[in-house]
Amino acid sequence: MKSTTKLIGALAAGALLLSGCSAGGSDAGAGTSDGGDDATRGGTLTLGQLGDVVSWDPSQAHVGHQFVPYQLVYDTLVLREPDGELSPMLATEWSYNDDRTVLTLELRDDVEFSDGEPFDAEAVVANFEHFKAGNGRQAVQLTQYESATAVDEDTVEITLAQPDPAFEFYLSQAAGLMASPAAIEAGTLETDPVGTGPYLYDADSSVRDSQSVFTAKEDYWNPDLQKFDTVELRILEDLSARANAIVSGQVDWTTLDARTADQAEGAGMEIIPDYQVDWTGVTFFDRDGTINPALADARVRQAINYAVDRETLLEQLQLGRGTATSQVFGPESGAFVEDLEDYYTYDPDMARELLADAGYEDGLEITLPVIDGFATQITAIAQQLSEVGITVNQVSAVPADYVADAVQGKFEAFNFNLFQGEAWVAVNQIIAPTATYNPFQTTAPELEELIAVVQEGGEDSEAAAQDINRYVTENAWFLPLYRIDQISVYDPEAITVEAQIQSAMPSIYNFAPAE
Amino acid sequence: MLTFTLRRIASGVGLLIVISALAYTLLFFSSSSIARNILGDQATPEQIALKEAELGLDQPLLVRYLGWVGSALQGDLGRSWFNGEPVTETIQSRLPVTLVLMIVSIVLVAVIAAVLGVLAAVRRGWVDQTVQVGAVIGDAIPGFVLAIFLVTIFAVNLGWFPAVATIRPGAGAEAWIVSLTLPVIAIVVNYVTSSAQQIRSAVIKELEKDYVRTLRSRGLSEREIVLRNVLRSAAPAGLTVLSLQFIGLLGGVIILEQVFAIPGIGALAVNATVLSDIPLVMGVVIITVVIVMIVNLLVDIAQGALNPKVRLS
Repeated sequence: MKSTTKLIGALAAGALLLSGCSAGGSDAGAGTSDGGDDATRGGTLTLGQLGDVVSWDPSQAHVGHQFVPYQLVYDTLVLREPDGELSPMLATEWSYNDDRTVLTLELRDDVEFSDGEPFDAEAVVANFEHFKAGNGRQAVQLTQYESATAVDEDTVEITLAQPDPAFEFYLSQAAGLMASPAAIEAGTLETDPVGTGPYLYDADSSVRDSQSVFTAKEDYWNPDLQKFDTVELRILEDLSARANAIVSGQVDWTTLDARTADQAEGAGMEIIPDYQVDWTGVTFFDRDGTINPALADARVRQAINYAVDRETLLEQLQLGRGTATSQVFGPESGAFVEDLEDYYTYDPDMARELLADAGYEDGLEITLPVIDGFATQITAIAQQLSEVGITVNQVSAVPADYVADAVQGKFEAFNFNLFQGEAWVAVNQIIAPTATYNPFQTTAPELEELIAVVQEGGEDSEAAAQDINRYVTENAWFLPLYRIDQISVYDPEAITVEAQIQSAMPSIYNFAPAE
Repeated sequence: MLTFTLRRIASGVGLLIVISALAYTLLFFSSSSIARNILGDQATPEQIALKEAELGLDQPLLVRYLGWVGSALQGDLGRSWFNGEPVTETIQSRLPVTLVLMIVSIVLVAVIAAVLGVLAAVRRGWVDQTVQVGAVIGDAIPGFVLAIFLVTIFAVNLGWFPAVATIRPGAGAEAWIVSLTLPVIAIVVNYVTSSAQQIRSAVIKELEKDYVRTLRSRGLSEREIVLRNVLRSAAPAGLTVLSLQFIGLLGGVIILEQVFAIPGIGALAVNATVLSDIPLVMGVVIITVVIVMIVNLLVDIAQGALNPKVRLS
């Protein structure tokens, strides 16, 4: 009996220790596109997904990879084309009042939810209220939302507390997903999605964290968006499983990393070209020096930027699949400034000089939390920083709590892959005093003025966004290393697929059977 | 025999209580911000407080644990904190896959190991040496390395088997067979040599005993002696190894299920623990412990049947 006891104890402990397993990785997103001209559909589309959705309730929808499953069963009010342009979907047209605080939407009147409920203005109101109350992963999308009113059956007026230049974009994202009001009322959406989307979820053939199966809905209102009879999402968290699945033809599309991409290309798969969504690097949260006084000095943060050799890191960590950069805004964001690309060149002498100016000629320490997915990158950064006298204390973090702890201000800085979206989206994510990834709410008066201009959304908005970019780059709010090539791999014999600007995964509408 | 079995079951239940309490306590400390992780990084403090109250996280640990035990005793393991699905349903859909994988593997291991072990012990010579060397190699290569090797050759290059499992609810036998063949081979290769080694030693030890000499002197054939007497005496050692291996497999399949994307309990355990989905993790822990207890009980009963002395101890 003794040995049995020991064994069971060891086993239980082993099971518990699994909490040490990592989930690290990238988050990114946007998505939605055009239907193409052919209304014919057929075959099965099998996608090798990174992970399962947490809940089918659209108020819990996320972005990027995690947004696509929702597109199968739910339609959005606005459709986002592959190039980022916004087109009508459930909303046929929309317009703002003069001060951009009231948005009026005209709705389609020929659409029904899969439970037979009509899609109308009341349904839209119910969805906004539900999304707001659900306070999910993308709650930020309705930050400025105040109320929605059904003017008549197919007209809705949305009132915003303040202008939000990204609001129409959000209507093509999580906040624009429309679920049946009856299902919202019943509280069953978590496991049983009911939308107006092109496909129906087949719960009986689906296994959580393993596969989700969808079948084309008959009489879908927009057959152009419905290109397959069946769609299967295979949940393949393991990178080598994804690589094997695409190479052996079990999935038509998946996402890989730089190393496995070569193997897939060798086997005849194609990678969507010129596709970048995330930047990777360090965000200095503690710019006021609450935890680490050294980080309050811009010269220290600049020194760190001069001390890393981005090209070498890109080559070593990403096999060159990416673009080294000193700015956190992407080329399509509207805030991009060409000369900021190499604002910080590799210059250890300059770094030492700046550190000496700041009074740290004897070196300083910074602390970075480490999870599995970023351990190699952090070690590489630490090694380069050590050459100018900066010691990086690497502290293990709990993967499940990594982001939660970061946004609660428990770290002075952290290394992550962050999304490069539209200027206003990025400002709200990483720069504004209210931004998720600005937990110490660091700011500056000149910066807030610029943010206010961008928020107005007028003619000066783009110039102001570029000035914001200049400000945070010159003041070294971040340590951007490079934009990562999105390795979106597909089997050209089976399907065609088009990149979706600013989204880690192409919209479901961008997939079509091969000619 | 009945008292023996009942005693075993009673001590098993006691153990289950201890482990569940331990697991519950450890899980409580494993994640500091469960409510925030459930709600996402945008959640407000009020929302988080509300969620914590809803999940009972504001209650003392003991109260929460007793509440969990109370429902567990009625067969209700609660619902996943993240997706709201009942834990028992989730486990019911995933457990059969893992059990089939494990049972098929261990039966094959038992049969092949018995044959190899006895042959090595009786014949010695090159058979013996091969088994010995194989034991070292089989132990040294981790199962998942073997699995990746097998996938690369037989799934990716030759295309004989799917690289990731095709099992789904209602899938036919074919899907099970083609999906589980490579993982089963990986397990069998990994486990068979060390069990063969154990059986070999046990058989050799028996063969050196006096009663074997007596039997030989009576003119019984070597084959009869080995199959009738020696094997029966050596079986307990083999059973012990196999039961240990079966229990070890509960951990081993986790990685295999990831590599082959098999929708079993291992992959579920990983996901649940990464998320700190306590109801789901507890469900997996409990079911795992119950399986271990059942295996041990069956092995003890088998041992008792083979050797009456065990029942008395």
